[in-house]
Amino acid sequence: MKRVSTVTVRKRLVTVFLIGILFFGIIDFRLGYVQFVIGDKLMGLADESWSRDILFEPERGLILDVNGEVLAENVTAPSVVVVPRQIKNPQETAEKLAAILHISVEKAYKQITKSAMSSQIRPEGIKISEEQEKAIRTLDMEGVYLAKDSKRHYPFGDDLAHVLGFTGIDNQGLMGLELYHDEKLSGEKGSLSFYSDAKGGKLKQLADVYKAPEDGLDLKTTIDSRVQTIIERELDLAVAKYNPDGALAIAVNPKNGSVLGMAARPAFHPEKYQEVDADIYNRNLPIWSTYEPGSTFKIITLAAALEEGVVDLQKDHYHDSGSIKVGGAKLRCWKSGGHGHQSYLEVVENSCNPGFVNLGQKLGKERLFSYIRDFGFGTKTGIDLQGEGNGILFKPENVGPVELATTAFGQGVSVTPIQQVMAVSAAVNGGYLYEPFVAKEWIDPQTNSTVKEHQPVLKERIISDATSKEVRNALESVVAKGTGRPAYVDGYRVGGKTGTAQKVGPDGKYMSNNHIVSFIGFAPADDPEIVVYVAVDNPKGTVQFGGVVTAPIVGTIIGDSLNALGVKRRKDGLEKEYKWPEQPKVEVPSLVGLKKKEIVEFQTNLAIETSGKGDYIIDQSPKPGVKVEQGSKIRIYLSNKK
Amino acid sequence: MFFLFSKSKLGDKPDYTLLTIILLLLLIGIIMVLSSSYVWAEYKYNDKLYFLKRQLLFAGAGIAAMFTTMNIPYGTWRKYAKGILFACFCLLLLVLIPGVGMTRGGAQSWIGVGAFSIQPSEFMKLGLIIYLALFLDHNQKYITSFKQGFFPSLLLVFTAFGLIMLQPDLGTGVVLVLTCMIMIFVSGARLSHFFGLAILGLAGFAFLILSAPYRISRITAFLNPWEDPLGDGFQIIQSLYAIGPGGLMGMGLGESLQKYFYLPEPQTDFIFAILGEELGFIGGTFVIGLFAFMFWRGIRIALEAADQYGRLLALGIVSMLAIQVMINISVVIGLIPVTGITLPFLSYGGSSLTLTLCSVGILLNISKSSHL
Repeated sequence: MKRVSTVTVRKRLVTVFLIGILFFGIIDFRLGYVQFVIGDKLMGLADESWSRDILFEPERGLILDVNGEVLAENVTAPSVVVVPRQIKNPQETAEKLAAILHISVEKAYKQITKSAMSSQIRPEGIKISEEQEKAIRTLDMEGVYLAKDSKRHYPFGDDLAHVLGFTGIDNQGLMGLELYHDEKLSGEKGSLSFYSDAKGGKLKQLADVYKAPEDGLDLKTTIDSRVQTIIERELDLAVAKYNPDGALAIAVNPKNGSVLGMAARPAFHPEKYQEVDADIYNRNLPIWSTYEPGSTFKIITLAAALEEGVVDLQKDHYHDSGSIKVGGAKLRCWKSGGHGHQSYLEVVENSCNPGFVNLGQKLGKERLFSYIRDFGFGTKTGIDLQGEGNGILFKPENVGPVELATTAFGQGVSVTPIQQVMAVSAAVNGGYLYEPFVAKEWIDPQTNSTVKEHQPVLKERIISDATSKEVRNALESVVAKGTGRPAYVDGYRVGGKTGTAQKVGPDGKYMSNNHIVSFIGFAPADDPEIVVYVAVDNPKGTVQFGGVVTAPIVGTIIGDSLNALGVKRRKDGLEKEYKWPEQPKVEVPSLVGLKKKEIVEFQTNLAIETSGKGDYIIDQSPKPGVKVEQGSKIRIYLSNKK
Repeated sequence: MFFLFSKSKLGDKPDYTLLTIILLLLLIGIIMVLSSSYVWAEYKYNDKLYFLKRQLLFAGAGIAAMFTTMNIPYGTWRKYAKGILFACFCLLLLVLIPGVGMTRGGAQSWIGVGAFSIQPSEFMKLGLIIYLALFLDHNQKYITSFKQGFFPSLLLVFTAFGLIMLQPDLGTGVVLVLTCMIMIFVSGARLSHFFGLAILGLAGFAFLILSAPYRISRITAFLNPWEDPLGDGFQIIQSLYAIGPGGLMGMGLGESLQKYFYLPEPQTDFIFAILGEELGFIGGTFVIGLFAFMFWRGIRIALEAADQYGRLLALGIVSMLAIQVMINISVVIGLIPVTGITLPFLSYGGSSLTLTLCSVGILLNISKSSHL
């Protein structure tokens, strides 16, 4: 047994002392760390916990069309706020609220018995309907209040839904323009901050801070609601007639890339977006969908061939035997038996596949693909909307003779509708590739002055004026004489190109009898003001050809839109060539002033109906000079006096 | 009662420096209790001075008790050590009987009626120090032996610890164990014994945590209080929100914002947080410095004590106070998990303040007869 010496005890006492002092040192060091190193951070957090903010909601900016027509606005819709402490009979109140808001009694009970100053019933109690508001006001329950709130309203209903998008329960943008430009539209919340104790009481020794809310800016878009209405109407008609799987339409101004109208089917109502499948509102088809374009893509091949000078449309000829052999594969023309001997202009008019393969071969892989990329395919156009697709091109190293040949007439590439529209706009506007855009101006809602204006973005100059003019003339002749004749609009010099794209099925093979038929048109051919693209996915009960289904739709949209935009009709355009069973229109002759029996001399294939009695014709409808279908009725008004 | 007036044989002057430090800490405590409590006091009792009045009462009683014990020769405690220990064990058992012991803050650790209630575990701390000093002095030649020295003292300490943990009161238990360990260490136990004990201790610690899940949540809360800001992390966060903004100079005496109901009962366990908020790093360092100074004076008394019993008794008392200070401040500044220990002399704390001052009186008495 070792006796412990007093020295050991003293040594150990000193050891304890030194360790103790070390601990005091560490503690003081940590105190300094908390107060100096993380002090500012803690101060910020503590300040947040001390200050109470009463929030002031800003007004969300309006969305307007190019002429100031309101496309999206705010309407007041109150929200239910309950103050649990003031509710004397929670069960009864819960039952009443549950019945009005269509929620379970349990949920209502839970919210109104929460241990909080105030509580909201989300989402059913937010932005309630007029009937619900009336019911709550009538019952006048204790502790149940209606707070002023507003919700988004879209006066045009389903129209333009995919472009406008919609907002969520807190008026936050969730889709389309509402999301893309949410920051500018939503503005800044204002607040009244004061310091309070933990029980909510105000601490008087510290001053309040008030920050006024900043309302969101109004957004003036490039959309022309007149054009949009025409597009929506035509798509509705197409859906009614063909019951397709989907349909889409785009109209842009080729001179700057501004979008005049854009629509997709199936559509939805932005205020009731929850009622449809998420795919419907998530997919803005005109910018989202990618598919093989088919013959509309031939415009790109044509423009490239003309710019490179590898073909003269009038002088050079091509013989189409019905198919062409490329690298061991036989590529057929859409017309069995082929188109025979044609000039290259006729190749374009007839949309002859072997002829375009030949153009592609003349260009070669390098030049054709370089033009395709220059025209903007394979990359996003950069439109200011959510959910744009990229499209897919062959990798240059994978392009053999067959890939070159099919690409020349629009197969084996995958593109988006907006890419096609912008590329064709460039082909017909003198060669300028623009970035498409929808947001045109930002307007201060208080002063109504423009805060910021979007300038058109020119991405690239691709072809020359001369080439562009040649493309326009060739495409005008497609509509006047070739496959695009149903798009012809008298006086507006429509040019365009049909497209019938095969769809790839789930097995990776082309599906039969299931096509995306499309038409891309522009007008007037001498100075294009509008480019319109319409695609219909798998139309039923018709021949699935672009010329049959979509060309007339584009024709109507162009005709009505240019009329609405006030574009003057031309006189020097190509005359439409008629093929059986089509009949050319006839001009109504001037009959006023003639005697009744003299009509015989004007015997035309028009049906005459008379009104009144007498020998002299004093008026007629339609007026002289108007072109009408053969066999149309003409009403003449008779009188005994001249 | 004759001994109240008797004088000790070896010198008769207590350590006035230590006495001054204690009175200064007590004064700071009274000011801080007023500053940190008046908001709560007015809310709860409609009397801003509610806690101050009581603190003054307990401090007065404590000072009287301190001067009394200062004049009781510490040999008296040695004489009655066994009886005192026995009484303390009886109280500890009594508090565990349902209906006798009162539950406050999740632990059944109070006996008595209203304001006249006491915590037996507080008495046990002092009682055990008084007895262990005797035991170690008596068995000093056996202390290097595991069987006759180290193990019996451990058995005693952990019996008391076990009873305290039944309440449960981890904070007091830890203070008690650490204090006794220091006493056993200084009296000469082998380092290898401590090493073995440390391994056992770690295992026991793991068991304690696994057996009561609320402890583990306290520990995780300490590691990241922001994970559960309204639950387990609440007190730490509110404490840091007080200290952090204090900076170098503090917000000024009386200017705390955290005392406005953010920090629960700021006058007790978290009084140092309000002190840090109002008086800043300078005030905090001053108080920590005073405690370190107190610690130095206490160790000095132990070094110079007239005999081994006085040495160990002084060491036990000063260690107990220092450990409580370290644990309390470490909790407040987020160094260790929340344990529920008051800050000696500063916290509002009724009977425990009185008892703490009693133990300082004993310390001062030892200083009287030391070779200072």
